[in-house]
Amino acid sequence: MDEREVIARVRAGDGAAERELYDAHVDRIYRLAYRMAGDDELAQDFTQETFIRAFERLDSFRGEAAISTWLHAIATSVVLNGLRKLKRARDRETDLDAADGVAGRGRAAEPDLKDRLHRAIDDLPERYRLVFVMHDVEGYTHEEIGAALGVETGTSKAQLSRARAKLRTALSDFAGEWVS
Amino acid sequence: MTDERLGERLERAAREYHRPPATPREEMWARVQAERARRRSTPRVIELRPWVRWSLAAAAVLLVGVAIGRFSAPPPDGRQTAADVAAPPAGPDLAYRVAAAQYLTRTEALLTGFRSDVRRTASDTQFVEQARELLLTTRLMLGSPVAKSPRMKALLEDLEVVLAQIATLPSGRRGEDARLINEAIEQRSVLLKLRTSVPAGTQGAL
Repeated sequence: MDEREVIARVRAGDGAAERELYDAHVDRIYRLAYRMAGDDELAQDFTQETFIRAFERLDSFRGEAAISTWLHAIATSVVLNGLRKLKRARDRETDLDAADGVAGRGRAAEPDLKDRLHRAIDDLPERYRLVFVMHDVEGYTHEEIGAALGVETGTSKAQLSRARAKLRTALSDFAGEWVS
Repeated sequence: MTDERLGERLERAAREYHRPPATPREEMWARVQAERARRRSTPRVIELRPWVRWSLAAAAVLLVGVAIGRFSAPPPDGRQTAADVAAPPAGPDLAYRVAAAQYLTRTEALLTGFRSDVRRTASDTQFVEQARELLLTTRLMLGSPVAKSPRMKALLEDLEVVLAQIATLPSGRRGEDARLINEAIEQRSVLLKLRTSVPAGTQGAL
């Protein structure tokens, strides 16, 4: 099915075409949202918001890039903004916990290496984490990442390189345990 | 361990990072549809940050205050300089002018909404309640220094008539009565007079 034809039908108010567009892209958007959010409900919220915005703003899609690029630009914006809001809310809760004297309690046990890696990914700056997840986890190309984030391909490569370096640093004390 | 091996390990372990379940397509599609329907039926409200709201409100009060000052000032004669004409009168009337500014903005919003709503024949309870409240304010304004200006007094009297009609609008007989009120608004050019006393861009900010 020609993508432009589907878009034209969606613009004309064809509900079936809306569903076609949704079906064609929802998996990748949801996977990315889930990888970033780590939570099904949040990932669904982000995916839902991405498609709502896309349908609302489809008239502004000029067709200069592929529709998937445009959808990913919306999705990454929704995800990053959503996570920022969530972080602010959690920070406030943490402040309240700290005021109640419950913060700062250490974990009972050391996490294993995989947990440590995942925590290190969690701790990456959001932009680096997004680039890392898109490239190393979900297999997007730097061209796709650059187009979705509105940056040059070189910037995407540089951010991935910094993300990997940070992960290596975070895991350096575990290096010996990784040798099998 | 070499960088290369650590890289491979990282890559393998990273694939496990927040591994997504199967996409809940139908569930999300239903939510997308429901949310779009909800947004279509709800008027869009632009939420402003508090400091933007307060800044806009302060600017609007100033603008409307100046406009009312000009609107209620006597026509310039040979003894007045251009600066005298442009500057709003200062002094104890300021509080009344601010109150008048808010009142006029709200009244304009009410009448504009009422006129457009007549075509949709929606519920009038909200309009009636607002008109009653604004009618009381109109009568207070008529007894205040704001009404010293003949032009402002005439406008307030017109508004009093129209607001009284809306405030006493009987439920169940809306169509014909509302049409007559709209005719009265047009015949008296109430909205035109209101809009010339409230600068464009300040509506809704107060």
